[in-house]
Amino acid sequence: MAVSESPRKLLPNTETRKLLLKWLVAVLVPVCVFTYVWVGEQMVNGVWLSLLYPDVTSLDHDPWSLIIQSLFLLLVYGSAIALSGYLVAADSGRRNMLEVWFDVAFATVVPLVLLAVTSNLLISIGLAVVVWGIYLFVRTRIRRARHYTPPAPLASLHVIDDKERGALLRLAQQAGLWFGIIFAVITLVADIIFFATDQLAPLLLIWVAVRTVLLPVAGYFLGRLGGRMALRYTVAPDAGIEVAQSEGAQRGRMGWRGNARKVSREEQLQSLSASRASEEARDVVPNDKPLQSRGATRIYLMLLMTFVVLYPILDPILFGSGTKGRITSYGDLGFYVILALGLNIVVGFAGLLDLGYVAFFVIGTYAWSMVGSPQFYVLTGMIARPEIFSWFFWPMLIIAALLTALWGVLLGAPTLRLRGDYLAIVTLGFGEIIPIVFTQMDKYTNGTDGIAGVYPPATPCIGSFCLNWSNSPTPYYYLILILIGVCIFANVRLRDSRMGRAWIAIREDEIAAASSGINLVNTKLFAFAAGAFFAGIAGVYHAAKLGTVAPGDFNSTDSIIYLAMVVIGGLGSIPGVLVGAVVVYAINLLILNQLDTYASDPSNFLHFLPQLIHNFTFSNVRNLLFGIILIVIMIFRPEGLIPSARRRRELHHTTNEDEEAEPSALDQPPGTPEFEAEMKVE
Amino acid sequence: MSSEEVRTSSQPAAAAVASKTEALLELRNVTKTFGGLTAVSKVDLIVRPREIVSVIGPNGAGKTTVFNLITGIYEPSSGEILLAGRSLAGLSPDKIVLQGITRTFQNIRLFNNMTVLENVLVGQHTRLKAGVLGSLFRTRSVVAEEKRARERALELLGFFGTALVARQDEYVMNLSYADRRRVEIARALAADPKLLLLDEPTAGMNEVETLEAVKYIRRLRDELGLTILLIEHKLAVTMGMSDHIAVLDYGQKIADGLPDEVRYDERVIAAYLGRQSETKAEDDESAAEEA
Amino acid sequence: MATFLNLLIVGLATGAIYALIALGYTMVYGIIELINFAHGDIFTLGTFVTIAILSMLGVTAANPPSTMSWVLVSELALACIGSFLFCAVLGVLIERVAYRPLRNAPRLAPLISAIGVSLVLQDVGKLWFGNTNVSFVSLPIGSVQMGPVNVDVINIFVLVVAIILMAGLQLLVTRTRIGRAMRAVAQDRDAAALMGVNVNLIIGVTFFIGAGLAGAAAFIYSLKFPNTYFYLGFEQGLIAFTAAVLGGIGNLVGAMFGGLIIGLIYSLVTLIPATVLPHGGNAWNKAVIFAILILILVFRPSGLFGQNTPEKV
Repeated sequence: MAVSESPRKLLPNTETRKLLLKWLVAVLVPVCVFTYVWVGEQMVNGVWLSLLYPDVTSLDHDPWSLIIQSLFLLLVYGSAIALSGYLVAADSGRRNMLEVWFDVAFATVVPLVLLAVTSNLLISIGLAVVVWGIYLFVRTRIRRARHYTPPAPLASLHVIDDKERGALLRLAQQAGLWFGIIFAVITLVADIIFFATDQLAPLLLIWVAVRTVLLPVAGYFLGRLGGRMALRYTVAPDAGIEVAQSEGAQRGRMGWRGNARKVSREEQLQSLSASRASEEARDVVPNDKPLQSRGATRIYLMLLMTFVVLYPILDPILFGSGTKGRITSYGDLGFYVILALGLNIVVGFAGLLDLGYVAFFVIGTYAWSMVGSPQFYVLTGMIARPEIFSWFFWPMLIIAALLTALWGVLLGAPTLRLRGDYLAIVTLGFGEIIPIVFTQMDKYTNGTDGIAGVYPPATPCIGSFCLNWSNSPTPYYYLILILIGVCIFANVRLRDSRMGRAWIAIREDEIAAASSGINLVNTKLFAFAAGAFFAGIAGVYHAAKLGTVAPGDFNSTDSIIYLAMVVIGGLGSIPGVLVGAVVVYAINLLILNQLDTYASDPSNFLHFLPQLIHNFTFSNVRNLLFGIILIVIMIFRPEGLIPSARRRRELHHTTNEDEEAEPSALDQPPGTPEFEAEMKVE
Repeated sequence: MSSEEVRTSSQPAAAAVASKTEALLELRNVTKTFGGLTAVSKVDLIVRPREIVSVIGPNGAGKTTVFNLITGIYEPSSGEILLAGRSLAGLSPDKIVLQGITRTFQNIRLFNNMTVLENVLVGQHTRLKAGVLGSLFRTRSVVAEEKRARERALELLGFFGTALVARQDEYVMNLSYADRRRVEIARALAADPKLLLLDEPTAGMNEVETLEAVKYIRRLRDELGLTILLIEHKLAVTMGMSDHIAVLDYGQKIADGLPDEVRYDERVIAAYLGRQSETKAEDDESAAEEA
Repeated sequence: MATFLNLLIVGLATGAIYALIALGYTMVYGIIELINFAHGDIFTLGTFVTIAILSMLGVTAANPPSTMSWVLVSELALACIGSFLFCAVLGVLIERVAYRPLRNAPRLAPLISAIGVSLVLQDVGKLWFGNTNVSFVSLPIGSVQMGPVNVDVINIFVLVVAIILMAGLQLLVTRTRIGRAMRAVAQDRDAAALMGVNVNLIIGVTFFIGAGLAGAAAFIYSLKFPNTYFYLGFEQGLIAFTAAVLGGIGNLVGAMFGGLIIGLIYSLVTLIPATVLPHGGNAWNKAVIFAILILILVFRPSGLFGQNTPEKV
């Protein structure tokens, strides 16, 4: 740790220089790739050109789009600088420079290049996940071959006093400043080359000059901001301990209550075992893996969220034409995400296997289809006028979800008293039956033809600005974004609540949970109903978005696809489930279809497959693929791609349980002579 | 565990005083059969407030089954179990926790992938009121409740010194055997029980740890005012601290009385000593005296 | 009345097939406490193998035999044995690949793996015979007049074969060394291992027999019903599982009677008129079976023949 800096010195010493080199390269390379390989430079110049040349009609002059683009760019570059400050301040400096560069290259450069090449967000994410998986696999292999043991995670942990805090802050400032200087130089050189080769409009030179001055200044202040962030996670000296100890001593017999306050944060961290410490180490500064630490994750999350929120406006600039189709498909992906989040509560948190989740989704879709469509007339004799009934979408979102939750309770109440396997088969049956029921009750549901003309939602107009629900996919994109946000919020809050603890307890040991006062049936029932609730929300959304609903659209194997999303991502892990939903959606609806178009083209090399196997199409092997994925994941990586820390241990620990328990000689199995010897009576 | 309970704890829990007070736990003629096998047969047992009562007996005598009957994991085939005069019949394990009985298990059943603190928080489940909406929106009362629960969990861990407090964020599966026992007891205490059932609290412990366990079991009674029913194999341990001892053999209660009475009861000696040598028994007596 | 009696016999024959499939579920559950979701799909592949073998022998649906002959009978026997062996080996293979590595994992893992195997087998069937209904060979077997009813001989044949198989299984389990070992492993795997029982072998044998019975059931099914498709086993498996639960899961005799009862119900539900249920009972038989499953679980989760065993504490 390079903390022995003389104050106010901007030229770093040797130790600091190594640290700066490590992180500045790690951050600058992806930033440059973003700028010059993908769209960064193009976007910046686009914004300036349309400002500087207001008369050129070929440029995009839409003020909205310009504002959002510049906002996005400011955020990207700003957070990159702040990140470099944070990383330098947070790094313990014990991890190899090359290793960090490789990690960064595979985690950021590869996806960015893929994005630039494929111009398709989902496909490039899907491929990047695959590449990342292979990289991790190879890395572990190499480490194992070289007998690499990672350094103890908390070895550099220590209390950081005021002096050290100041030093850390200066370090971060230096990092930001140097980032600014280097990036200014790189862009300056690049732009001069562009100008020399006549690729740069002359007026843009003003911007080039301004930028070259602005970047180091911004670097200085944003680096400081990054340093401030890092300081939030340091271990501070704990003044309260001494007081508590003396108080405790005075209290005599009641002293043991004071024990609760006699332990400092440092002591707490130091008494953690290696596995627990490596989890905790991510949050503490200094840190061996600052890229994965909580502070850095916050920056990524902020970036991701702005990207997602601004996406519909950025899309045409990033990927060119075809925006409407892409936004529509992201809107569909959204309800997959909600289903995955809902199922995650049931399977991931409470450990109940629900194989008929699609049934709740169906109930949700029909709930809105029967109210918000001409079918309402068939059911009640009242004419459902779209201009009125469209408004009912909003209350129905909740009512339908409550209705599905009620169904969850009805189905769960008899089964959840029994052991978990029965739930699996009962839900499987339920998923089979519900589409049949909706087909046969054609008096109400219009049978196999389904219900057409389901109304979209309605929103009030603000002045002359109205959301166009019937023709544009964008309102649905934002609607599902909000719904996903609400679902993630509910997932996180429930997981961290009293109820969430009870779910995990039940998952781990039902008898111990019951003996701790947890009502097994009610707690499981609540998990089951909560899962169904989210399926109901997804269903209503789906019905409104698609406009038609028919029993043939739902397949009981869909439930297992939903399960695959949760399992691939990682049982119980919210980010895992989100990634799982994206990957499964990409495979299921994009990649397989794409491959089928390739395979049906006689000139493509994939064409041999349908020739070889009579009934071969890629969508025919969809279930085969997911089946194999499920089996392979269960056997080799039961915790999924992005596991929750708890689940990872849980799913692996049964194999080495024997070595963990260390029964002493007194804990003999009954029947042995040693055991008899323990039965002491004269 | 209000402070009043602690204040009154200085008064000695002499068996003579206790025998006049009303029974806290009473088993009347309790029988449990599994198919054709009778695991527990017509057992009567009385535990009075602030007593430490031990249930001993050879392996397979039905001791743990008695615990499972009291805590509602099994339903008695016949007979009655009363807590402070109220029948516990038909109550599920979680309802019995609400009545004020908590327990530990012979083969420690903690939630291994939860932290020490979380385990104790789960133990407080019945005491916490946070509902679904409250948890979703983190209302002020829920936040305050959660904070209090954490403080209380740490206090309970502090009962065993600062070692467990320091390891509050450690996963239980990484703890030593003795520490896991302590966490299990802390979890049982968290529900604020009147009666604590300890199933072999010193199993798997070495001599030093056992002596310490005996100390804190006494402190549980003296400082927290708990009533304790325990199963124990190490007779040295039981003899030293029990107010009275019930002996089970083949599911039947063959003796019940003060430690000294039980120690010289012929049926007890017969039940145990069918398989033990004289010298061994002498060794044990000296061990018993030490404790 | 005649319809009723006829349905009764058809129901018994169908029930016998369910019973054979249910035995596989119940045996596997009894020994490793796993709902083998892939079992129904093994059955599907059994029907496909039967068709494949018969068509290799020149007996195809497009060109059905006109008379019964000894040649035909031996060809059928070959198909039956082929289906049995194919399914049995498939069952063992599945256990080896997908379940054995997860034997000590948390309960959720083998269940998810089982559902994965089920998906894989469905798509294998789809690749083999496509997305459509595949017709069985219709045999030139007539019907006999028994009292007031005209009974298809095939029903009687199905019943007889099924009963022979079930009796054989019962003998195997109760009278032989291997049967005793199976019961021992079902009771307590570790204790059985300590007593020198080769647990892996016994579990393998259980899968062999259970899946083999599904193969035999598939053959019988091909005689009695007109066609099959890749999803058939998944649906029939659910019904057969209900039969196993009805009889008390883990209980062989229970599974047999459960199968017969479920078969009867399945067939008699057809009598429900359209005035009671829209489109008549025929459209609802699966839903009725499902309702029965729920009812059993509510009122007698241990099944008709099962015993409540306490959970180990």
